[in-house]
Formats: sequence, structure tokens, C-alpha cells
Amino acid sequence: MAIAPPAATAPAPIRPDWWSKTLAGVILGFLLAVALAGLFAWIGPGGPAAVNKLQLVMWMVAPLWLGVVSVCFLFRSGRQAWLWLGCATVLAHTALLAARSPLLP
Amino acid sequence: MAIRTDIVRIYRQVHTWTGILTGLILFVCFYAGALTMFKEPLERWITPPVAVTPATLDRAEDLVAATRALRPEVRDFTLAVEPALAGESPLRLTWTEERFDPAPWAATLAPDGSVAVEQLNPSGIGLLVDFLHRTVGIPGDLDIGTTVTGVASALYVVALVSGVIILLPSLVKDFLILRVTRNVKRMWLDAHNLLGLISLPFHLVMALSAVVFGLHDHIYDTLDRMVYGGQMRAVAAASSPFRTVSKDMGPVVMLPPKEFLTRVHSLSPGFQPVSLEYHDAGTGAATVRVWGHDPRYLVRREGFVLMGAADGRIIDTQYMPGHQNGWSATVSAFFALHFGTFGGGIVRWSYFLLGLAGAALFYTGNLLWIESRRRTERQAKGPVEQSRATRLLAVGTVGVCLGCVAGLSLTIAAGKWLSGLVDDLHAWHWGIYYAAFLGACTWAFLRGAARAGVELLWASAVATAAIPATSLLGLVLPGLWLSGGLIGVDLVALVGALAFAALARSAERRALSGPRDSVWAATVARPKSEMGIHPLTHPAE
Repeated sequence: MAIAPPAATAPAPIRPDWWSKTLAGVILGFLLAVALAGLFAWIGPGGPAAVNKLQLVMWMVAPLWLGVVSVCFLFRSGRQAWLWLGCATVLAHTALLAARSPLLP
Repeated sequence: MAIRTDIVRIYRQVHTWTGILTGLILFVCFYAGALTMFKEPLERWITPPVAVTPATLDRAEDLVAATRALRPEVRDFTLAVEPALAGESPLRLTWTEERFDPAPWAATLAPDGSVAVEQLNPSGIGLLVDFLHRTVGIPGDLDIGTTVTGVASALYVVALVSGVIILLPSLVKDFLILRVTRNVKRMWLDAHNLLGLISLPFHLVMALSAVVFGLHDHIYDTLDRMVYGGQMRAVAAASSPFRTVSKDMGPVVMLPPKEFLTRVHSLSPGFQPVSLEYHDAGTGAATVRVWGHDPRYLVRREGFVLMGAADGRIIDTQYMPGHQNGWSATVSAFFALHFGTFGGGIVRWSYFLLGLAGAALFYTGNLLWIESRRRTERQAKGPVEQSRATRLLAVGTVGVCLGCVAGLSLTIAAGKWLSGLVDDLHAWHWGIYYAAFLGACTWAFLRGAARAGVELLWASAVATAAIPATSLLGLVLPGLWLSGGLIGVDLVALVGALAFAALARSAERRALSGPRDSVWAATVARPKSEMGIHPLTHPAE
């Protein structure tokens, strides 16, 4: 090649990594969405037992989950997707465990 | 808007895969879903007219008492208020033995005060269209079909987002442009983008809510384990409208039906009651749900207020439009946005048209996939045969989509002919639909996409034209009739039939005189010596 690619300015192209990115988005995305919806249930307004709040918490999971699936192909590689989404999921679930307390007296 | 080309390339693949995996499922969901907007008129169109004089609710109390005396084991039943007052059906109590039972039992009161109980044999076309919408016709347990459509809807959300991402770079240039030129792929792409973009909010609402409707059991199970520590059932029970109702099963005298309507009116004058649903009637736990509409609010199909049947006290208003808390009202809004149960006739018609446009979006998406993978004669320097994948998708698209269209039209038209002649009209409806659908798929497979496309479009046109034709014959033939006040059903079907006929003619022209190197060409690829006779039949790439 006569013209060298301007490596310094253009970032490396995104690797497709179809399987690993898709699995990261679907699995970790779902776990992350459940944890975020759960955090809203526990520390959001009304607490976990507010009348009919459970239904809205369930509805929240779908857009959060599919939002993650939709954007997970933007990660530079499948490895990056697992790393970032994995960390976010662990963090969110840790926070959820910390926020939870016994529901019934 | 500038987006890096590698991102666009990746999302184009995401869009292609999610689209191709779900296109046919979503076509059936949307076509049947569009029809669900008018399932009550369809049901009435099929049902023979009976002379019913508009009733009052004066005898409803006697009806409930007499039915309770005759059938004490029936404690859950419904009194349809609106249809009886409007003269659409007699004053009667109905009940079913299981959920989604197409043939309910009905009790009516004779003038002498005696009660007659019979099993109704309604067409249930509304139930068929609704089930087709929810399960794409997958037989067996409802859960299997709804899980399939739920997963398809999840892929559909991703398809929508990726479709928007790949459209963004050329959005300004291509917006609202439909280039009808020799470049067939360009035209389908423009049509696909146009349909997708103008109905994007509708599609996002449908996709996300359909994921919830299809997969809520699985999501709830996960929430129970990870969020509610296995105690979600208790949380749900604490939200149930019935949470404070006593378990007392001893006999109790109930208020007359009119009394509930009076109390509902004083609670919410704008609420229009449709029916009273009794639960544990005649016991200390007896309740009445007054179902109805309130056009001022976003309501699930219908809202209800729960009352004590013995004392008429208001027990719960969490599903009553205008009397819900924020959580309930928000979720009700999601339901209303999916079902189009707000805004009256304009929204109903818009949802019908948007549903049909959605079906067209998935159809054009498949056509685009086929055009993009086309092997051209010019590149191959000779007659070509399209790849197996292309031919199979073309066959599947034609067979499934047109099979669904023709099957639904046929079973609607046939319902009017069979009504009163057969004992189990609802089962006949399903039999006719499946026969037409599977027949169309087999036909497409045997004849190939090009010829079957034309033939099945004609079949769809004829099947749809059979709906207004049946009504016309009702003027002269005994046993048929012209349904009063339902000319809209016939007119919409007529427009549909004309549209299918026009599509059939254009598909016919394309099969005969269009490019030979197309999956839609009916002619067999000719020997190489004839090459160059029709140089202009090649479209631009």
C-alpha cells in the first residue's frame, strides 16, 4: 500500500465478534436490567411494596435489557463487551444486595 | 449525521439478521393485530341478526336470582349491560368453564319468570384473530406461541434501533423520498425507510410492550428470585384488588344490579359501564367488577371498579380510570398504547392502518434482502440461477404472508355462510384458516415464488372480495343476509380486494416481462445465445 493509513488519528475498526457480543448483550444485559429495575424497586419512590409498583418494575426490564443488547455491538471487541457489562452487572447486583432488606416482618 | 462506516456496517448486519429471523412472524402479528382493532364489527358481521328489543335493567335482579336458584354452583358470571341496553344482545348472564372458552353458557329470563340456560355458539372470530396476533397460529398451549412472539419482539426492538442507526447518515438526503425508477432495490429501500421512519414511535411502543406481553412470566420469575427474595407473590397479593375481600362463603343477599351502576355513576360520572362481572356471587365474599370505558383516560382494554356485592362498598379503584395511583396509571398507559384503547375512532383507524403499514414494512424488508442477494446476469456473464437461500426466503415470504391474508379473508367470509349451519363455528373458523394458510405455503413451495406470488395474490383478492360478495348475495339468497350498519366491513374488504388485485397484476407483469435474472421472473433462464436481446431489462445495481 502506497498510502499508509492514518493510524494515529483514526481508531481501530470495531471487531464484529458476533457471538461473544450477542451473548454478552443478551445474558449480561438481562441481568443488568433486572438489577437496575430491582434498585428502582428498593430505593426508588414508594419502596418495594407500593401498590402495583411491581408491574412497573417488570415493565422497566424490557427497555433496559434491549437497550443494552442494541448498543452492545458498539464495544470494540467481544472481550470489551464482557468486561464492561460484567463489571456493571456485578456492581449493580452488589448495590441491589446492599439495598435489599427482609420484605416480610 | 456522521457515523463511522464500520459502525454502520456492523449495524447493517444486525438489522439484516434480526429482520430476517423475525419478518415473517411479525407480518402475521401485525396483519392479525390490525384486524383485532375491529374484531367486534367482524363478529357482528358474521352473526345472524336476531330481533332484540333494547332491554332495561329492571328484570336483571330477577334474572340473577332465578339463575342462582337454578344453577347454585355457578358463582362467577357476567351481566353484559351495554349490549343489552343497546339492543345488540338480549339481557343475559354468561359464564365460561375455562378461560378463553369460545362457547360460553348463557341464562335468559322468559316472560313468565323462568330461566333458560343454553350454550352459545358464537363465531369467535375475534378470539381467532386475537390468538393469531399473539401466537402467529402456533398450535398447542398459549404459552408456547406467546413466548415465540415475545422473543421475536425482542429481536424486533434490536432491529428497530439498528435500522435507525444505519439510516442516520443518509437521513437528511433520503428523508421522505420514494424513488420509483428502474432500480428496484432502491425503490424497495426507499419504501422500507419511509414506512419505518414515519411509524417509528408506533413500532417502538408495539415492540417493547409485546416483549413484556410475551415474556412477562419469565421476567417475573427472575425478579422474584433476584429482587424480591422469593416473596414476590406476597408483594403481588398485597396489590391485588381482592386483598381485603373476606373469605366468608356463607349465604348473603346481594344488591340489585342497577344499584352498582348508580354507585359507579356517583363515583365517576364520565365512566361508561359495559358489564358487571360477579365473583363468588351469593356468598359473603361476593364482589362485582363494573367494567367500562372512560374516553378521557388511557385505559387498559377496559377499566373496572371492584365493589362488594352485598353492601355496594367501593373495594378497589386501582384499575378505574382517573382513580389509580401513579404506578397503576403508568402501566395502564402502556396497555392502552398497545391496544389503541384511547382517543376513540381516529386512534382505532390509525392503529388499523399503522398495523397494515407495519406488515408492509416486514414484507418490503424481506424483498430488500432478496434483491440485495440477487445474482445478476451481467456479473455472471450468462443466465443465472438464484441461490437456494434467496429462493427459499422468497417462497416463504409469499407463502406465509399471502397465506395469512387469504386465510383470514376466507375464514371471515365463510363464517357468514356457515353461521347457523354448523354446531362448532369457532372450530370451523380455525380449520378453514389453517387449511388456507398451509395450502398457500405448500403451493408457494411447489410452484416457486414467482408464479405462486401472482397466483396467491389473486387468491387473496378473491378471498377478500368474497366478504362484500357474501353481503351482496345476502340481498337475494335465503340463509344469507346483509348486516345492517356494518357496510364498513364490506367496504374495507372491497378496497383490500382491489389492492390485492392491483398487486397481482403488477406481479404478473414483472414475472413475464421483468428482468429474467430475478427470483420473481416466471420464465426459465434461456440459452446463452439469446443473451443481449433484452439489454434494457437489467436494472441498475
